[in-house]
Amino acid sequence: MLAKIHIENFRAFREFDLDFRDGLNIIVGANDIGKTTLLEAINLALTLRFRGRPFAYELSPHLINQDAKNAYVAALAAGEQAAPPPEILIELFLDDRDEFADLKGENNHLKENAPGLRVRSAFNLNYSAEYRKFIEGDGPVTLVPTEYFDTEWITFGGNSIVRRSVPVNASLIDASALRLHAGADYYLQKTIDEQLEASDRVELSRVYRSLREAFSEDPAIAAINEKLGETQKEVTNKNLSLSIDVSQGASWESSLVPHLDDLPLQFIGGGGQSMLKILLALYKSLDKTHVVLIEEPENHQSPASLNVLVEKIRERCDGRQVFLSTHSSFVINKLGLDNLALLGDNAKPFRLTNLDPSTLAYFKKLPGYDTLRVVLAKRVILVEGPSDELVIQRAYRDAHGKLPIEEGVDVISVRGLSAARFLEIAKPLGKRVQVVLDNDGKTVAEVEERYAPYEQTEEISLHVSDPDQGPTLEPQLLNANGLGALNEIFEKDYKTKEALESYMRDNKTTCALQILEAKKKIAMPSYIEAAVA
Amino acid sequence: MPKNLAIIAAAGSRKTETVIERALEDPGKRTLITTYTQENLAQIARRIEARVRVIPSHLTVMTWFSFLINHAIRPYQCSVLGEIDFIRGLNFKGKHGMYVQKSDPEKYFLDSNRDIYRNGVSDFACLANENSGGSVVGRLEQLFDQIFIDEVQDLVGFDLDLLDLLLKSRIAITIVGDPRQHTLSTNTSSKNKKYQGKGFLDWLKKRSDICDCEIRSTSDRCNSRICELASSIFPEFEPLESIGEPVHGQDGIHLISVAELPAYVKAYRPTILRWNRNANTQGLEAINIGVSKGSTYERVLIFPTKPMRNFLTDGNASKLSAPEKLYVAVTRARHSVGFVL
Repeated sequence: MLAKIHIENFRAFREFDLDFRDGLNIIVGANDIGKTTLLEAINLALTLRFRGRPFAYELSPHLINQDAKNAYVAALAAGEQAAPPPEILIELFLDDRDEFADLKGENNHLKENAPGLRVRSAFNLNYSAEYRKFIEGDGPVTLVPTEYFDTEWITFGGNSIVRRSVPVNASLIDASALRLHAGADYYLQKTIDEQLEASDRVELSRVYRSLREAFSEDPAIAAINEKLGETQKEVTNKNLSLSIDVSQGASWESSLVPHLDDLPLQFIGGGGQSMLKILLALYKSLDKTHVVLIEEPENHQSPASLNVLVEKIRERCDGRQVFLSTHSSFVINKLGLDNLALLGDNAKPFRLTNLDPSTLAYFKKLPGYDTLRVVLAKRVILVEGPSDELVIQRAYRDAHGKLPIEEGVDVISVRGLSAARFLEIAKPLGKRVQVVLDNDGKTVAEVEERYAPYEQTEEISLHVSDPDQGPTLEPQLLNANGLGALNEIFEKDYKTKEALESYMRDNKTTCALQILEAKKKIAMPSYIEAAVA
Repeated sequence: MPKNLAIIAAAGSRKTETVIERALEDPGKRTLITTYTQENLAQIARRIEARVRVIPSHLTVMTWFSFLINHAIRPYQCSVLGEIDFIRGLNFKGKHGMYVQKSDPEKYFLDSNRDIYRNGVSDFACLANENSGGSVVGRLEQLFDQIFIDEVQDLVGFDLDLLDLLLKSRIAITIVGDPRQHTLSTNTSSKNKKYQGKGFLDWLKKRSDICDCEIRSTSDRCNSRICELASSIFPEFEPLESIGEPVHGQDGIHLISVAELPAYVKAYRPTILRWNRNANTQGLEAINIGVSKGSTYERVLIFPTKPMRNFLTDGNASKLSAPEKLYVAVTRARHSVGFVL
């Protein structure tokens, strides 16, 4: 099966490496972090196709990684005429099995003796003269001239590839953006349809309908449909058949469309369509090694049907490798944290199985959602309880003019020492994390001592309250704002600080909510100000 | 018993047929059939297709050069050149510059197009195997259970070193050929020169512990007269024994004059064979002897060279400059061989 991938300068990735697992691989990460790119890269290496078309036709400056492009443009602008245009490289390593020996060799960037496939789009030296003209032309160069590129598809054995000879079959299913069967023709045909006289249309549909009847009555087609119906029973209890689509607006230019219970595929809801596509891919017979790439299976699915779908995906992972990108904590929980690969901001993927076993055990017990929050957020502020969470929100809004959520900052309330567990995930992902801590009557050094394994860096910092200003959030707030100001906010009339503090302790959340919503200016303790800065 | 077998067989003893039969025998064994020339490979492919319609999936058929380049050189080129994905194709005609040393592998093995010179192909393959710690052979062991090499007498130079590696690998190797028909060479390297042609038997003898040797001297193509003449060209080999058709009235060996030529050609319609295009064939359409290898004709008519003519009169084979060519020419025929004197 697929063992690992190496990507350079392709879409979201400047340089990217990820080891795969047999069976299921779940790819999780924030938007635009490269989940789709990863699935596309795997598919590209196996098929030399991108979005359903030969890669050579699809190669454009937009497929070059933006950072790589910017570096190239900047180098040219600085007069470095020899700066080479960035090239796209995708190397897919396979397990060293006899059946893949034909793909084996050392033609990969690691010079490792392994079976694999390599796609490389790079500047073709035959265009040197034209290229010189291009970079010396009027105006600055603003993009990578991919029209002077050649794409090469070879095995690690160094031999070029015929698609038929790839011993691995790939099915890429993108449930988030379902394309209609022959979708491009669909709109074209609609335009033509509008140009026709009513009588033309009637005649056209009549002929087309009789064609359909003749088609489905043909004994060969009947036999084929019977066979299809048999084999697809496992997928759906509806009847799958091949027929010419004659519904209004369907292309009469003889497109064959899968029908479910006589309904053309595109007339079934998005959920049904994506479910069907995923299941058809999963139920494909295993004559070759099979890789299934699924993008966001949760799209268009109701919770109940998602449940069925995920269950089927889990069942069908035997003997094939499934790569699945998702935002859904439900999917992750169901399919298991062990299979998770997290993509962070620095595009250095991280697996939960790399964690300390006790930390992994902790996250396995948590609802998947909290784990995901660290991964999906741009920045995380960890606090020790729900009231702290609300106060921090207020502090953040005071400092930045927006609520944290509006800027992709997630404030997560964690209990006790479990903040350390989150740091274990955040650190390898390069996430910015601030931990806001009560001193609970200890010295700052004593509190920080508990987090000693987590060196404070530019990204990760601890913010412990000043022991002189009280052990917890309530006395800290009280000392910062004074008795009068807080009495006003809480609409109370306590005479002493002790009495108000006692009230605040008994009504933590209510008070925190009032602070969040207060019109009046709130003075924040300095450790909180530093944490939200 | 060793897994390897050499079949040294006389012309017309169904060598290639044996290769095809054995290669098709067990579809569970991943099998390679290879040979030097495109012509012979095409004939092998045709004969397989005649038997089983399409070449079955367990079977790979490719020329010796394709085999070396695709399965030995390209995968491990970086162990010799330090570069990956560098070599393009084969340069069949050219040679490296006179003073280029092997210590400059890029110039020694490749032309400016990054095509590999023919003479260096098997040399490179052996070097890649050595430099990569045996990865070439290791990869082949993963790919193939058995390899058949037809017309093995064409392999010379470093080919023999590579063949040696294969014999010592886990792969079952069957080599088939006839040193008496050594008319072509994969390269012109001076390496292993003494094992070319007849010398190949000595090479095999040194490897009798790892490779069985089967000598076949029966020909079901040539009749006994033709076998007799062919045997006299290589007296050091076991004489050919005809198991084909018996000699009929006009069959056998004919010496004819130029004056008799038109009548002879009309009566027998022989296939005309010549040394090369410079031979005067009296305006008759002819085939070069080298090209005729592997083919069977009912009757042949040979325009002999000077040494051949001498041999026909004095029977002294040691003076023949190219005994293998005469041997090939004579053994193409089933019924009769004519010489124009």
